[in-house]
Formats: sequence, C-alpha cells, structure tokens
Amino acid sequence: MPLFDSEFLKKLEYLSLVSRRVFRGQLLAQRRTMQMGGGIEFADHRDYTPGDDLRYLDWNVFARLGEPLLKRFQEEEDLHVYLFLDCSRSMGFGDPSKFDYARRITAALAYIGLADLDRVSVSAFAGDLLDSFPLTRGKERILTLLQFLEQLESQGTVTDLARVTTGFVHRRQRPGLAIVISDLFDPAGFQRGVDILRHRRFETHLVQICDRRELEPDLAGDVELYDVETGDTKKVTVTERKLRQYRTVFGNFQKSVESYCRKYGLGCTRTTTDVPFDELILQMMRTAGAVM
Amino acid sequence: MELGNLSALFWGLLAVPIVIFYILKIRLRRAPVSTLMFWDQIYEESRPRSIWQQLRHLLSLLVQLLFLSLLVFALMDPIFSWEKLRAQRIVLVVDNSASMNATDVAPNRLAVAKQQGRRQIRGLRHRDEMAIVSAGSVPRVQCGLTGHQRTLRDALDAVPATDGPTGVAAAVTLARRLLADHDNTKIVILSDECFAEASDFAAAEDVVIVPAGGKAENVAITQFQVRRSLIDPIGYQILVEVINFSEQPIQCRLEIELGGAVVDVVPLKLAAEEHFSKTLDQTSAEGGRLVARIDHQDALAADNRAVALLPQTKRQPVLLVTDGSLFLQRVFEAIPIVDLTMTDTLPQEVSPEVLVVYHRQSPEQLPSGNVLVIDPAGPSDLWTLGGPLENPIVAKQKSDSPLMTHVRLDNVLMPGAKKLIFSIEPEVLVASIDEDPLFCTIERPQGKVLLLNVNLAKGDLPLRTAFPIMITNAIGWFQGNQGELREAISTGRVIDVDLSSLVSSRDTEDVPEVSFVLLSPDGKPRPLPGNVTQTTIGPLDQCGVWRIERRPAKRESEMESDCEPILEFACNLSNAQECDLRPAKEFEQQAPADVFGFGGRPLWFYLIVAALLLAAVEWCLYQRRWIS
Repeated sequence: MPLFDSEFLKKLEYLSLVSRRVFRGQLLAQRRTMQMGGGIEFADHRDYTPGDDLRYLDWNVFARLGEPLLKRFQEEEDLHVYLFLDCSRSMGFGDPSKFDYARRITAALAYIGLADLDRVSVSAFAGDLLDSFPLTRGKERILTLLQFLEQLESQGTVTDLARVTTGFVHRRQRPGLAIVISDLFDPAGFQRGVDILRHRRFETHLVQICDRRELEPDLAGDVELYDVETGDTKKVTVTERKLRQYRTVFGNFQKSVESYCRKYGLGCTRTTTDVPFDELILQMMRTAGAVM
Repeated sequence: MELGNLSALFWGLLAVPIVIFYILKIRLRRAPVSTLMFWDQIYEESRPRSIWQQLRHLLSLLVQLLFLSLLVFALMDPIFSWEKLRAQRIVLVVDNSASMNATDVAPNRLAVAKQQGRRQIRGLRHRDEMAIVSAGSVPRVQCGLTGHQRTLRDALDAVPATDGPTGVAAAVTLARRLLADHDNTKIVILSDECFAEASDFAAAEDVVIVPAGGKAENVAITQFQVRRSLIDPIGYQILVEVINFSEQPIQCRLEIELGGAVVDVVPLKLAAEEHFSKTLDQTSAEGGRLVARIDHQDALAADNRAVALLPQTKRQPVLLVTDGSLFLQRVFEAIPIVDLTMTDTLPQEVSPEVLVVYHRQSPEQLPSGNVLVIDPAGPSDLWTLGGPLENPIVAKQKSDSPLMTHVRLDNVLMPGAKKLIFSIEPEVLVASIDEDPLFCTIERPQGKVLLLNVNLAKGDLPLRTAFPIMITNAIGWFQGNQGELREAISTGRVIDVDLSSLVSSRDTEDVPEVSFVLLSPDGKPRPLPGNVTQTTIGPLDQCGVWRIERRPAKRESEMESDCEPILEFACNLSNAQECDLRPAKEFEQQAPADVFGFGGRPLWFYLIVAALLLAAVEWCLYQRRWIS
C-alpha cells in the first residue's frame, strides 16, 4: 500500500481548506504568523498559563479586570517552516511504524504550509542530517515533496538531534517555525538540540510520536530485549513490578518533554500511531494555534 | 528402609522432558524494542545481583527435579523398619449397655463415647490397626483388626444402643484374645465406668479407659413381676422394687396400669439410696400387659418403666349333674371363672373341656375328661361301693396337695361316707380313722377324677369355710393351674423356648411349613430356626414385650402383620448396677486424643505434602515472578 495515496491527498486538501477557514480573519494575511513578541502589531489576548513569559502580560488589563491575559502580536513577514523528520531506526518500530506516521504528519504540515504560500523545508535526520528537501514555496511543489518523503527510510544509528540542529543553524538559516517530528529517544537528550533552535529564535514545536507498545509493553517473563536502533541486547525477566516501573519511567520522560515545552513556550504535541494523522493535525491547529 | 513399589522408579524418567523443557526455556525469546533507554534505567539497580540472576534458572530446574524426586519417592512407598516395629494394635471396647443411654451428657453417653471413638480412629497412625468390640450383654466384634479408618468409623457408628447389662469385662477378655498374637497392643474402653471392674481396668497397663459421661442421679424400677394367685382364681400378685440411686431424697409416684387402666398408684418418698419393695395383691379375670411407671425425670428413661404379662384366666365350663343341691349350686356360682350348667339326668355325651360334677349320681362308665364325683350313689368302672363307714371322721389329710391348700378338715365329720374299693389305686387326700378315703384323686388316661365321699346334706361340711376353698382348689387343679408365673425377664438374659409346646399338632396340620419369628419391642423381626423343638433366644437387649410369632414359611412377608403372637416375654431393665449411673470410682480425666500420639501418616503422605509445598513455593517464586 503506497504511503501517500489519493485518499491521503484528499485529506491533505481538506486540512488545507480547514486551516484557511480557521485562521482567515484572525491573521488578516496569509503571510502572517502569530508569534509571541515576534511583531509589533497587537492581535489579541489569550489566557495566561504558567510558564508564559511575564513580559507579555498585559498589566493594564490585569490592573483593571484582575485577570492575567497575555498580549499576542502579529509578525508581518514570510513564514519559513522547517520540518525536522526523525529517520532513526527507532522510528521504524511499531505497526504501523512511527516512521510512516511521522512522514504523513510531515507531508500534511508541509502541504498546509505550501498552500498558505509559506516556505517549507524538510530535514531528514538520525545521528546526523541524512537528507534534506530545500526551502520551497508553492502548492505545486507538494508532489515533489511527497516523492522525497516516500524515498526516505528509517536508518542510521543513534539519534543525535543536537548535532543535526547545530549543523542546521550553522547554515545561517532565517528564523522561522521549526517543527521536530520524532520520538525524541535521543540518548544525549533532545533538549540540547531544541535549545540550539530556541536560542537562534526559531519558533519550535515538538511532535512526539509513540507506539502503543512503548506505552504499554506486552512483555512478560524472560526475554532478550533487542534495541532496533543500536542493535544492543539485554536479557531481562519482565515482571509485573518491572512493567510498573517501566510505565513510571516512560511517563516521567513524557512529562519531562511536556514541562520542557511549557517552560520555554514551545508547542508540544504528543500522540500515538493509533490516532489518525488528520485528527492529530486538526487537534494541533485547534489547541496550539502556533502552526500557521 | 524398604521400598514397597520399586517399579515406580521408572517415573523418574520424567526428568528427561523436564530438563529438555528447561533448556528450551532458558533460550530467551527476543523482543525488539525501540530503545533500551528506559529498560536500562529499570534494570540498572539489579546489576549487583547478576550472579543470582544467572543461578535462578538453575535453581528452578533443581526445584522441579526435587519435586519429581519427592513424587517418585512417594510412589515407591518407602517404609522405615522402625515404623513396622512400632505399629500399634488397638481394640476399642465400646460400652453399649443400658447406662450408656443416659442423657446426662448430650445427646447421650453412647453418642459421646462414639465421638471419643472417632477421635481415637483419627489418631491412628500409618500401619496401626484397630478393632472394635461392643460390650453389651454379649461382647461382639463389630470390626476386626484393620487400619482402614472409614471401615472403623462405619463399624463404630453401627454399634447399637441396648438396654442390656454391661459386658465390659467379657469384652476386654475378648479383646485380649484378639491381641494375643501381637506386640505393642492397647485396649481402649469407651464407657461411663458404671461397672464393677472399672477400678481393676484402670490399674491395668494394657487398658485405657476413656470416660464418656459424668455422675447422674437416677430412680429406677429394679424389679417388677406378676403372677396369678394360687388361691384366688382371679387374683394376682405384683412384686415391685424401686431404688433411689442418688444422694438426695426424692418423691414420686408409682403408677401401675393393666391394659391401659390404672390399677394402683403408690406414692413414694425415698431417702438417698433407699430401696422400696412391696407385693401388691390385685384381682382381675382378664390378663394383659401390666405396666409400671414412676413419674420422675432423670437421666435414664428405660428404668422408669417396667412391664409384666398377666396371664388371662381360663373360663371353666361345669356341668353339674344333680337332683338338687343348693350348696353346690351356690359354691360353683360363687367362683367367677365357672360357667355353670345344671342337669338332673346323666348326659349322653360330654365335651372334654367340660368338668362334669356328679352329685349323688354315678354312671357305670365315667366319661372321658375331668370328673368330680360327690357322694357317689353307685359303682363305676373305677370303684365298687361298700357299706357306710362306721366312724367317718377326718383323721388324716395330705396338706401338701394343691387341692388341700388352705383347707383344714381335722376332726370334721363326714356323714354318709361309704366304703369304696378302687380298681386303680387313688391318691388319698383325706382319710378316716380307718384310713378309708374320704377325698381322693384318681389319675386315668381319659382325664382326672376327684371323689368326695360325703353326704353334703347330712354333714356340716358345706357350712364350713373350707368347702368353697376345696371346690375352688378343685377347679384350679382340674385346670392345671399352678399359680402361673410368666417371669418378666431382665435384659441381657438368654432363655430357652420349647417351640413344640407352642403349636398344637392340629395347628400345624393346615400349614405344613412353618417358621418362627422373634419380634423385638420395636418390631424388628429376627427369624428363629425352623423345624426344631427347642431353641435359645437372646440375649434380649431391649426393654418391652418380645413376641414369638408363627408364620407360614412361604408367606412370611405377607403374614407379617396378621400373625397373632404365640408367646410373649416381658423384658425389663432389672439391673441395679446399670441403673446406678454413678461411676464406680472417680477417675482422673484423660486426654483421649493423646492415647496414640498425633497425626500418624505414612511416609509417602509427608513426601507428597513436601512436594506440594515445593510446587507452591516454585509457583510463588517463579510463576508469580517474585524472583525476577
């Protein structure tokens, strides 16, 4: 079954239309994006949430109404959307694999960006940058982009996001929206790589993809665990107690992703591969509003 | 140590598949994961125990092999040599006498004894054997030596309650005989200790007494008999004895009923240990069951009631052949059991049951049957008549004859007496100075003959008190009445019964094949041997009325309810020792369960238990993953 069939393209078109209907009238222009402090023209208010930068708190409103509201501004410039697609072997885990799911998400986001006349690029990475689709513009480029995504494979050894983003920023990229689509299983920690983007004023959004079996492993008894990314093995006896410990450790990891994004005002979307990708896109647009 | 089933060793081959499965098990299943980051965090703490981690599988194999070894060893049925030597042989003597029915302990002493017996059976060890002997009237082996506990329990439950006397001494003798060829033996008596030999057995080394009851007070009818009066044809005498087996005075009433009608009530006020004994005279032509009751609530009910059988008085038809004698008429009419018929002519034919009284008449040939001749007028086939006696004064009388009971005729004038010459030598009861018979009996094959040689109209004999007594004695003598006594039998006794005398030849003509059945008071039939003239019945171990019925052999089942009893026995608990519910001696209470030790089981049982425990441990440690 092809990864991007006609049904998939129909869904992309649908998502594109929905995104326009949602954001038109709010952003006033197709080449505008909502970015905290990114522009000078006031757009609207939104509720304050813990972790938001207090510099953007509207003190006048707070003094008058007693409600902490954050001011939102419009940045009037072309939006550059940089999509970072994790192609490590760990992404090949699951059925359907996280890699296929990530490619669909990447394709969907790219299509929406191209449809909105934004500039979109895709960087496929694992331990280093594996392949890249340069910045492009225009909806007609979507098929080329899909072909690019389709020829990608999950490969490489250990995920090293910091190395990828370091190489990316060294190429003097114009700041824009950086969306990292990955399972974030970076032994060195995904934070270092994201920090590099954040420090270079990229508006960063993390899309963490997990398989259901990573949340709830169906393992029991004596097994030899085989790391599909590194090829390492580990002989263990999986008991109920160990499974509980695993769920705790994995839950802590996901909480760390969430708290990190909240701390630095980053967008964060966590999903499992059993959620339809179009629903996920809609959910991202409705909740975060930071994508377009 | 010996092995009872060496072939079970082949089950040890199961170790081969166990080892194969073990090898397959330790080849771990490979499970791909996206990253080991998180698993490393979890198992990082377990690294110091890695040696244990490696050994735990081996330990699992060893546990499984040990489990198999235990099972195989159990199947081989190992027996220790000391186990054979220490096997006990026990005889359980269960006292099922009447006193064990006492309800001073709930529900009664016998039930408590059986409970104790079941505890003894549970305490049997492997290779111990036990027999059960009941110690009722006659000791019976209820179950031979066996180690099968279910059989022993069934035999113990089957020990019946009886009203008989205790036979513990005989039972212990029987038990010792059963154990004679064995070592390491013991006799356990389950009893209320209300028997004389209790103290002897308590001192015996091979006997253990397990008490089943306490000390209870009791009032009992220890004797109850009835018999027909020797004088009064309708009179009877009751002998009753009541004993207060307690240390407190009691008050109660003794009620005596005949056929459901109260005939006497005796208020009793008995001091501690007092015996009350009395003979009561009553009259009744009717017979039946005479029941005595004392209205006193105590622990033993069987001795508060006694029964005796009063024989029914037979009616005597009398044909008085006379030309007129008011004295004779009135005398016969005054006797309640006489059916009098009078005639003045000699009868042509007379039924053998009828007593024919000839007064001043004498046929030449006396009829068959019983005949009383008063003042014979002429000769007959038994005598010839001579002249009148010169001096017919009574000078000699035979006082030991039942015909002369309570009769004194010394110097009484017998006018009109005649000289008689007998063809058969008579038995003279009353004779004159010249030793001429005045009152005599003649035994002949056709029947009894009694002759009174006196003219009643001339003498004063009819006016004397002795005359009606003489006639009454004569009626009794003709009936064969010897003061019939049907003894009320004590429980536990054995009696001999002459079956041939119970059935007349005429009865058996109709039914050639007959059988006799003994029915206990509760209606349970016990067939008696057929075609025998005499048999032994007993021991009668139940209070009440026992019956012997005659039944046609072919229709035994059909006739069960239709047959009339041909013989009845009254049976009472007339045993002072059984009625005394206080133990002969105060014994120290023993712990019954400790008699044989605790929990004797075969070695294979413990091996199986150990194997199961091992399986449980293995399941908890490995299957529940307590060991990880």
